Amino acid sequence: MAVNRWLATGNYFTSYRDEQRIFQTHLDRTIHVAFLLVLFAWPLVFDPGNKAMLVVDNILIAAIAVLGLNLLTGFAGLISIGHAAFVGVGAYTVASACRVLGDSHPLVTHAWPLMLLAAGGVGAAVGAFVGLPAMRLKHLYLAIATLSFQMIFQWVINFMGFFNQGQTIFVGRVRWFTGTVSRDGHYLFWYYVMLVVVILCGYAVRNLLRTRYGRCLVAVRDNDRAADAMGMHPGLTKVYAFALAGFFAGVAGALHAYVYRGAGFESFTLHHSITYLAMAIVGGLGTLVGSFLGPVAIMLLDLGVEDLSKVAGTVFAGAKNLATAFKPLAFGTVIVLFLMFEPRGIANWWRIARSYLKLWPFRY
Amino acid sequence: MSYFFQLVVSGVVVGSIYALSALGFVLIYKSSRVLNIAHGQLIASGAFITYALAVWVGLPIAVAFFLSMIALFFIAMSVERIFLRRLIGEPIISVIMVTIGLMSILDGLIYLTPFGTYNFSFPEFLPTTPIQAGGVSISWTQLVGVIITALLIGGFSWFFKKSTLGISMRAVSDDQMASMAIGISIPRVFGLAWAAAGFSAAAAGAIIGNITGLNFETLHAFGITVFPVVILGGLDSIFGAVVAGIIMGLIQQFASGYLDGHWGLSGTANLLPYIILLVILLFKPHGLFGIHEIERV
Amino acid sequence: MKKGQWVLVTMAVLTLAFAADVQAKTYKIASSLAITGPTSDAGAPYAKGMEDYAKYANDQKLLGADTVEMIIRDDQYKTDVTKRNFEEFLSQGISIYLNYSTGSTLALKRDFDEEKMPTLPASFDRTNLVDSTYIFLPITSYSGQCFGLAEYLIKNHKGGGVPKVAMFIHPSAFGRAPVEHLRKGIEAGLLKMEIVEVVEHGQDLDNTAMLQRLQSKGVQYVLCHTVQSPVATLLNDAQRLSLTSKEFGEAGKLTFMGAHYTGGNDLIGLAAAAAEGFFWTTSYKLTSEHKDLAEQQLAIAKKYGRDDKTANSHNYTNGMMVTQVAIEAMRRVKAKNKEITKQTLYEELLAMNGPGAFASFTTVGPVTYSKTDREGVDTLQLYVVKGGVFRSVGPPSLSESYKKLFTN
Repeated sequence: MAVNRWLATGNYFTSYRDEQRIFQTHLDRTIHVAFLLVLFAWPLVFDPGNKAMLVVDNILIAAIAVLGLNLLTGFAGLISIGHAAFVGVGAYTVASACRVLGDSHPLVTHAWPLMLLAAGGVGAAVGAFVGLPAMRLKHLYLAIATLSFQMIFQWVINFMGFFNQGQTIFVGRVRWFTGTVSRDGHYLFWYYVMLVVVILCGYAVRNLLRTRYGRCLVAVRDNDRAADAMGMHPGLTKVYAFALAGFFAGVAGALHAYVYRGAGFESFTLHHSITYLAMAIVGGLGTLVGSFLGPVAIMLLDLGVEDLSKVAGTVFAGAKNLATAFKPLAFGTVIVLFLMFEPRGIANWWRIARSYLKLWPFRY
Repeated sequence: MSYFFQLVVSGVVVGSIYALSALGFVLIYKSSRVLNIAHGQLIASGAFITYALAVWVGLPIAVAFFLSMIALFFIAMSVERIFLRRLIGEPIISVIMVTIGLMSILDGLIYLTPFGTYNFSFPEFLPTTPIQAGGVSISWTQLVGVIITALLIGGFSWFFKKSTLGISMRAVSDDQMASMAIGISIPRVFGLAWAAAGFSAAAAGAIIGNITGLNFETLHAFGITVFPVVILGGLDSIFGAVVAGIIMGLIQQFASGYLDGHWGLSGTANLLPYIILLVILLFKPHGLFGIHEIERV
Repeated sequence: MKKGQWVLVTMAVLTLAFAADVQAKTYKIASSLAITGPTSDAGAPYAKGMEDYAKYANDQKLLGADTVEMIIRDDQYKTDVTKRNFEEFLSQGISIYLNYSTGSTLALKRDFDEEKMPTLPASFDRTNLVDSTYIFLPITSYSGQCFGLAEYLIKNHKGGGVPKVAMFIHPSAFGRAPVEHLRKGIEAGLLKMEIVEVVEHGQDLDNTAMLQRLQSKGVQYVLCHTVQSPVATLLNDAQRLSLTSKEFGEAGKLTFMGAHYTGGNDLIGLAAAAAEGFFWTTSYKLTSEHKDLAEQQLAIAKKYGRDDKTANSHNYTNGMMVTQVAIEAMRRVKAKNKEITKQTLYEELLAMNGPGAFASFTTVGPVTYSKTDREGVDTLQLYVVKGGVFRSVGPPSLSESYKKLFTN
C-alpha cells in the first residue's frame, strides 16, 4: 500500500531508515521550515523595543543552557544543581580574553564565533572535570557534588583578582561584515546569532539521540548495570554527558557575556542554577521541545509577575513590599504545581496537542 | 595556648549550631530519602516566629521559644502532607525540585512579612558579661545555645532508641516494605520526621537569631551550609550529623584562626566546608558514620 | 445677545482650561533597586524615601504645574534584571535615573555613557566615577568616608608610633575599593597609619579568632565597610571578649569605626549595648541628632503613613535626598525656561557648584558637582554611639588628603 508521505498519521515504516527519520511526514517538515522562517522574519515586521528583544535574547540564552542541562539531567539522569557555574565558565572565558587582551581586541570583536566555540570548549573541559565524581557517585550525592562545585565557582570568581573579584569585566562591541554592531541594533543582531546557534544545537541534540552515543545515554540512565553488561562504559558515558552539557552551557555563557557586554558575578549564582533546573522541569525533562518551552514559560512568568506587582503596587499603595514578594512565591508555586500535577512538563501538553491534531478529525 | 583553647571553645559553639541545623536535615533524609533544600527557610521561620511571639505578643522568651518549636512542628508536618505526600515514589529529581519550589514559596511568604527585609534583634534576656575561665571566654548566649543543642540531641537520641515511635521511624528508614508488613504507617512516619525536623529547625533558628540578630539573608544561608556538614557526617546518621557539625565548626575556627591573614588569604572559613565536601564525596561518599551503601559506577 | 455672551464666555473658559491642561507636563524619574532580596533592609526604606519625596514635590508644586512621576522597580539585586528594567525605562523616556547596587552600576556604566543618562546611584563606590561621565554620587564615596575616618583616628591617636588599623569589609566589589584607595593614601604619605590586615567577612557566627588575632598584632582601630548585620555580630563578639575600648584609641583594645552603610539605627537595634562607642561617618543628618531634619522628615513620613522605623532610617533620608537633587535640577532647568531633557539636566547638575551649590535639608553640607567633582556632598559628619543613640562628634569636615588624591 502506498504511503502518503504528506499526511500519514500512522506507523507505516518499511525500513529502519524510515523509522529514524526526524520528520515523519513532509507536512511536518514544511511546517517546521515555515516556523523557522517566521522566527527569522518577525522582528523585521513588528518592531519590538529594546526591552522585548533583551527578554527574547535571554530566553534564547537560557534555551541553549537548558538544552545542555536537559541532556544531562533528562537523558542521562544526572542531577546537576551547578549548571549556572558552567554557564559562568563560558562567560568568564570570554571575559578572561578581554582582561588579558583588552576588550576591543580583534579576537574578541572580529573572531567572536571562534570565541563562542572556545568558550564551549572550556565549558566542556570543566564539565568533564566536574563529571569525574560521576564515575563514583549516584543520584543525590552527585547532585551535592555539583552544588559544591557551584559554591566553589562562586568563591573563586569573587576572590581572584584576575576575575576582577566578581565585578563586571567589560566586553566590547563586536564587528560584523557591515561594521561595528551599534547600540540600536545590538539586541537584534545577537537575536539572529542566537537563533542560528539554537537551531544548530537543537538539530545536534535531536541527532544525538539517533546515534550510538545517544542510545548509550538513555541505556545508562535506565539501568546502568545492564548497560555495563552490554559493553558500554557507564562512567565514561556520564563524563561525556557532563562534557556535552558543559559545552552547551559554555556557549550560552559566552553569548550572555556578549549580549550584556560584560561578565559579572551576580549572573551565575545558585539561584540561577535553580532557575535553569526549574526551566528544564517545567518544560519537560528529557524532551527536546521542553528545552525551548521551559525558558519561555519561566521568563514570561517572571515578567508577568513583575507587571502584576507594578499594578498591585499602584492599587494598594505602600504595598510595594508585598507586591514584589510575589516573584519567588509565583516561581515556587508554579514549580510545585507542575511537579504535583504535570510532572512531565509543558512538553507533555505539546505532545498531546500534537497527536490530537495529527489524527484530527479522527479520535484515535 | 589560650588562643588555641579559645578557638576550640568557639568551634564547639559554632559547631553545635551546625549540628542542630543538620539534625533536622538528617531526620528527613533518614526516614524519607528526601533532601530538604528548604531547611534554611524553616530555620529562618523558627527564628521569626520566636521573635514575633516574644516581642509582639509579649510572652517570656522561654515560652516563645517553646511555642515556636511547636508551631514549626505543625507547619513542617503540614508541608509534608500537602506537598510531599503526592510525590512518594516519584523519581528523585522531582522530589528535589519540589523542595526547591518549596524554598521559593517560603521565601515569598517571608518577604510578605517585614521580616523578609528588615533586621530585628531579640531583647536581652541573658547577662551580657561573658564567662571567663583560664583565658577563654564564652558568652551566655552561646553557652545557652550549646546547652539547648545538647539537650535536644540527647532528647532525640533517647527518642529514637527507646520510644516506640522512634524505633518505628528507624525501621522505616531501614526498610520500608518490611515496616509496612508489620503495620507501621509510612505516611505517618514521614509526617513525624518532617515535624521533628521543623522542631529542631525552630530551635536552631532561635539560637542563631540570638547570636547574629534576625536577618533573613544570614538565616536562610544556613540551608546551604548544612550540606557539607551532613555529607561529612553521613546523610543518614544522626550521630554523624552532630559529630560532623562540631568538626566543621572546629575546622572553620582553626582556618580562620591560623590560615587567614597569612598569604593574603581571607575568608577561607567559607570555602573550606565545600572543599571538604568534595573531598569526602570523592573518597568516602557515605561520610564518617553513614551506613547506606553507595553504589560504585 | 445674552445667549451669545454665554457662549463666548464658555468658549473662553474652555480654551483657557484646555490651554492650562496642555501646558502641564509629567517628567519621569525611574529607579531599579532591591526592595526584596539581598540588602533589602537598606533598599526598602530607600524606595519609600524616593516615593515619598516625589509625592511631596508634587503636592508642594515644586515644579509649578508640572508633575514628577517616580517609577520604581524591584530587581532583587540581580544585575540582569536591573539591565532589563533600565532598557524599559529608556523606552518610557525617563530624563534621569536613580540606580542602587554597586554591581549593577558598574555593569551599566557604559550604558549610561552611551545613552547620556545622568545617574545618581545609591552606591557610593569611587570606581563608579572611573571611566564614566554621567554618574553622580550623592555624597562622598566610601573611600572618602574611610579617608575621613582615617584622618580622625590619626589626629586623635594617643601614644607614639603609627596607628595600626585593620579593615573589616564586605566580600564583594562594594567592600573592596576603599582598601586600595587607602593604601594609595598611605603610599603617598598623606595618611600616616598602617593597615595591618584586611578581613573579608563571611557568614561568621563567631569572630573570636579574628578579633584575638587582630589584637595580638597590635591593631587598635578597625575600619568597617560593609552592611550592619556583620558589624553587629563583630561588636557583640568584641564586647564579649572585652576587646572594645572604652575611650577612643585605648591601648590594647579595639576602637570600631564604620562607613555609611555600617551604621544607622539598625546597628543599634542589632548590637544594643555592644554598639556603645562605635564611630560612624556619613554626610547625612540624623533625626535623633538634628532637629531641622527630624521636623521635616518625620512630617513627610507621617503624611504618607510610614512607620517609625522607616521614618527614622538614614536610608529613607538617602532616598529622599537623591530624589530631591533630581527634582532640584529639574526646577533649575525650568527656571531657565529650558526644556527638561537628559542633556539639560546633566548640564544643570554640573553647574551645581560655587553659588549654585544646592543645600539640602538632609545633609550636613551642600551638594556640589562639577566636571572634576562628581561626588555631591563633600563634607562628612562623624557620629558616635552614646547612650544608645548616635551623637555628633565635632563639626562637619572635609577630607583634604582625599581631595588631593582623587579629583576626577
